[in-house]
Amino acid sequence: MSLQLQAKLKTASAEYQRLQADLSNVVEARQRLDAQLSENDLVKKEFAQLAPDNIIYKQIGPVLVKQDQAEAKSNVETRLEFIKGEIKRVEAQLRDVQSKSDKKKNELVEIQAALQQTAQQAPPPGAPLPSLGA
Amino acid sequence: MSQQQVSITDLDLTQLADVRRQLEEELNHLTNSFAQLKQAQAKFKACIENVAEIKPANKGKTILVPLTNSLYVPGKLSDPEHVIVDVGTGYFVQKTRTQAVKHYTAKVEYIRANLETLQDTISKKQDNVNSVIGVMQAKLQQQQQPAS
Repeated sequence: MSLQLQAKLKTASAEYQRLQADLSNVVEARQRLDAQLSENDLVKKEFAQLAPDNIIYKQIGPVLVKQDQAEAKSNVETRLEFIKGEIKRVEAQLRDVQSKSDKKKNELVEIQAALQQTAQQAPPPGAPLPSLGA
Repeated sequence: MSQQQVSITDLDLTQLADVRRQLEEELNHLTNSFAQLKQAQAKFKACIENVAEIKPANKGKTILVPLTNSLYVPGKLSDPEHVIVDVGTGYFVQKTRTQAVKHYTAKVEYIRANLETLQDTISKKQDNVNSVIGVMQAKLQQQQQPAS
């Protein structure tokens, strides 16, 4: 019984650790998206206050290529939309992993409690020795 | 905040040490960000100065254009009115000098505002660390007094 529980504890804690690693990965992705969002937002604001004679260049590898203002603006707009969508997706993922990891944590606590119980129940079988009293 | 104050006095020394370590990690991260922001601000300030050098008086003068960090080719300043500014995410915009200066001044100001809020956060975090250390020291003294 206790061996079984111990094996269960081991797999559960391994899974918990995996979930924690997942969680930190997702959090990292979320932070990266945030940085991208604010950078693109800044570019959008910058584009919004340009005069018509400001020429926009787009960097492709080592060269700068002239690009239409309207095209650049819509490019940034779609990028922003995309990043916002990604953030929603990652946040859903975050909630999912978080709830899974919480559940796993509860499971771990339960297994540990059960283990302690069996450890306390283990001594009684050998305890009563009636032959001594008589 | 007061809730935290109450709870840290209830923790034992090892837990306090953990809390302190965590807080110090956060503090480290924040001070690193602060230094990075400072660097970025200095870069933008340098840009303002550089733009000021591209003036009509310098038109036609010979300059050395860096192709790599160690390779330069001679060139001539043909257009003293316009500069091309990196606005982020791979986009560059051709601006007049005044527009460029305005752009960089705005950037410097933007970073300054961020630095200010970051400074506040850092000092708050520092206060937290200090209070944890204070509680730790008090607990240590309590532990030592019965022994002596």
